[in-house]
Amino acid sequence: MKKLAYFDTAHEMPLEIVMAAGFTPYKILGDVHQSNDPADKYLSSFFCPAARSWLTEALAHSKEWAGIVFAQGCNNTNRHYDIWKLHVETPFLHWFGAPMLDGDAAKKYYRVELQRLISALEKKFAVKITPEKIKEAIGKSNALKKKLQSLSALRSQKDIPNSDYLAAIIKYLTEPADEVYAWLDSEIARWNSKPAFPSGKKRFLLTGSDVTYTGWMDTLDECGIRVVRDDLSVGERLFATLIPDRNDPLDALMEYYMGIPTPATRPTIQKRLDYLRKALRETKVDGVFSQNLKFCEPYAYDSVPVNNALKADGYQVIHLERDFSPAVDQQLTTRLMAFAEMMDGGK
Amino acid sequence: MDKAKKSGDNGERVMMKTLPHSKDLQWPMLWWIGMEKLYRTLPWKKTAWTCAAFPIEIMWIYDIFPDHPENMATVAAARKQSLRMIEHAEGLGFSRDLCSYCKTNIGAYDTKIKKTIGGISKPDLVLCTNAICDTHWKWFQIMADKMDVPFFMLDIPKWVSGTDEKTLEGNIDYVAAQLNDLMVFIEKHTGKKMDENRMQKVLAKSMELTALWREIYEHRKAVPSPYSGAETSASFFPLVVLPGVQIGVNFFKKILADIKVLTAKGEGTMPQGKEKYRVMWEGIPFWYRMRFMYDLAQYGAVIAFEPYTFSFAPLKKKCATMQDTLRDVAKIIMDLPYAYNLERRIEHFEKWIDEYKLDGVILHENMSCRPSSAGMVDIKEAIMRDKGVPVLILQGDMNDPRTYSEEQMKTRVEAFIELMEANKK
Repeated sequence: MKKLAYFDTAHEMPLEIVMAAGFTPYKILGDVHQSNDPADKYLSSFFCPAARSWLTEALAHSKEWAGIVFAQGCNNTNRHYDIWKLHVETPFLHWFGAPMLDGDAAKKYYRVELQRLISALEKKFAVKITPEKIKEAIGKSNALKKKLQSLSALRSQKDIPNSDYLAAIIKYLTEPADEVYAWLDSEIARWNSKPAFPSGKKRFLLTGSDVTYTGWMDTLDECGIRVVRDDLSVGERLFATLIPDRNDPLDALMEYYMGIPTPATRPTIQKRLDYLRKALRETKVDGVFSQNLKFCEPYAYDSVPVNNALKADGYQVIHLERDFSPAVDQQLTTRLMAFAEMMDGGK
Repeated sequence: MDKAKKSGDNGERVMMKTLPHSKDLQWPMLWWIGMEKLYRTLPWKKTAWTCAAFPIEIMWIYDIFPDHPENMATVAAARKQSLRMIEHAEGLGFSRDLCSYCKTNIGAYDTKIKKTIGGISKPDLVLCTNAICDTHWKWFQIMADKMDVPFFMLDIPKWVSGTDEKTLEGNIDYVAAQLNDLMVFIEKHTGKKMDENRMQKVLAKSMELTALWREIYEHRKAVPSPYSGAETSASFFPLVVLPGVQIGVNFFKKILADIKVLTAKGEGTMPQGKEKYRVMWEGIPFWYRMRFMYDLAQYGAVIAFEPYTFSFAPLKKKCATMQDTLRDVAKIIMDLPYAYNLERRIEHFEKWIDEYKLDGVILHENMSCRPSSAGMVDIKEAIMRDKGVPVLILQGDMNDPRTYSEEQMKTRVEAFIELMEANKK
């Protein structure tokens, strides 16, 4: 099954439409090990390094994909689209204008945009995306979400390296649903057989910019930080809720995508905070790690009010800005270790 | 560029002429400041913060005073206060990489500096849009939460390169529906009702204001340039907060009359015979270093056109019904030159290069405005390829003086001037 790639700064892309069109949705995540030089010809170094890496990936691999869909997300998604339109070779480039609001006007507009995506796919690839096919895709999607929920819950019970969790999420975002489904069964069994949560690790909730490479998660482990909850778009946001059962599958998708835990790219900050507080009530943690990828503006704005609110709630919060780099930043590591030690001292 | 390198033949500093009525900008400014005092004194009057691309007219229609954090941030920068404000915000945890307007506003609000140096007070409402950037709504929501003030945001769909007419119509429907929501929101929080007679009067004044500015820009096509970016960067103020009221119209009429006198005599803002290079400036100016534009004059360069200041005067039309009016406003919000997509930017920039007889283009790669700075490499390559004029990308920041290096700017500008000179031969 051919991959249809998508550019998505959060969880805005209606994956079920892509699945119903007969493609494997493939989230472009870039490669931290590749130089961004190809993208840097078109974007200055003060643009999000992850988005520059996505462009680098597309410049090298776009011919392997059936096409590319951009889902409106952060500040510059539309600007990236314009640049990709000029420089990335692809037979199909589509803009999906996910609205940022969730009122009646936005709901109506969301349906218009869903229908426009369906029509564009049908026209380009000579397929028929029927309600039945969308319902079938929703069924698969929900089954995967349930498995990811089970997997995620094991993080606070078993000795699961941070990078194992991220690897599972990345597999979910880039490989065929049926293969991932079977793999998740074996992975849940493997995780269940692991020893109990290690006593030397601190339980953390991870929030802020997305992590798209496992190396950074290993670094956190090395600092004694075990991520047991998160509100990332390459993380819990993907499976925190299920797609509801509705007669019209487009209504179901609209309700789902407009109701998922709010990323920093959507209003309101309070909604995002509400989800974090809910997660923190559900799972006991030692601290909150707020991370900001360099030049990731939405989370940088949120970090001040969100972190202040969590601190006021009594949580220990550390906020760090990190680069998009495979190299271990020793300064960050030192700060994280010091924070973990400070938490011990406080007990 | 602290010293002129290529000034007049005798080494004297080239003095740019300002229009006789330029100083009259003080009247709309004083009127606006006075109005704020009045609106804050009378209990039935309301005030709101708003941002660029928001339809200011709706505020005057509902008798709400429009305060403008961005405008006040530019005042703070011009009065050399922005760095102090920015550092205050960074002290609260806001990253150095975030918008310097936003941080100036946070600092100005918290430290309660005077209005005359960029201060701003708590409003009754916060109204904004993401038409230009997400920063607007993140910033305004953070401040609305902080001040405990009702917040409304207009979500503007993106007009990406290649958008077809049918999609545009769907986008307009969405924005027009939100404008209805906006009216409901305002009426709920102010107790005021829509007065369609007042609406027609406000819109007529707004149309007159923008039509005058567009006529001024027609005259800016004259050689030598009668009105440079050094002046327009300040005098477009009425377009920011006064569309819909008379005082800005009065000011623009005087400016237009001055320009007509100047062009009839074949004179420009530069001394006779000194205008060598006509330049387009894309982006927001260095508000803390407005002398930059006057320094260009020392090389014989004049900023003859800026898409940014032109952006504030979209073509508006009189509509028969409320719904048509809302649809027209919706389209205008999505269609600002400052927010054009890359294809439209290139197309329009090349058109303006011809119309304004430009010799070069400076693109301000503004670290505080990533949406505006995206695609500048492509713009540069397209213009140089299609129009054969030099393009300079200058990295900097609109409000944060820490990004401005005097010597580096000078070196880059001088190299650009040399390219324009070589291009003329």
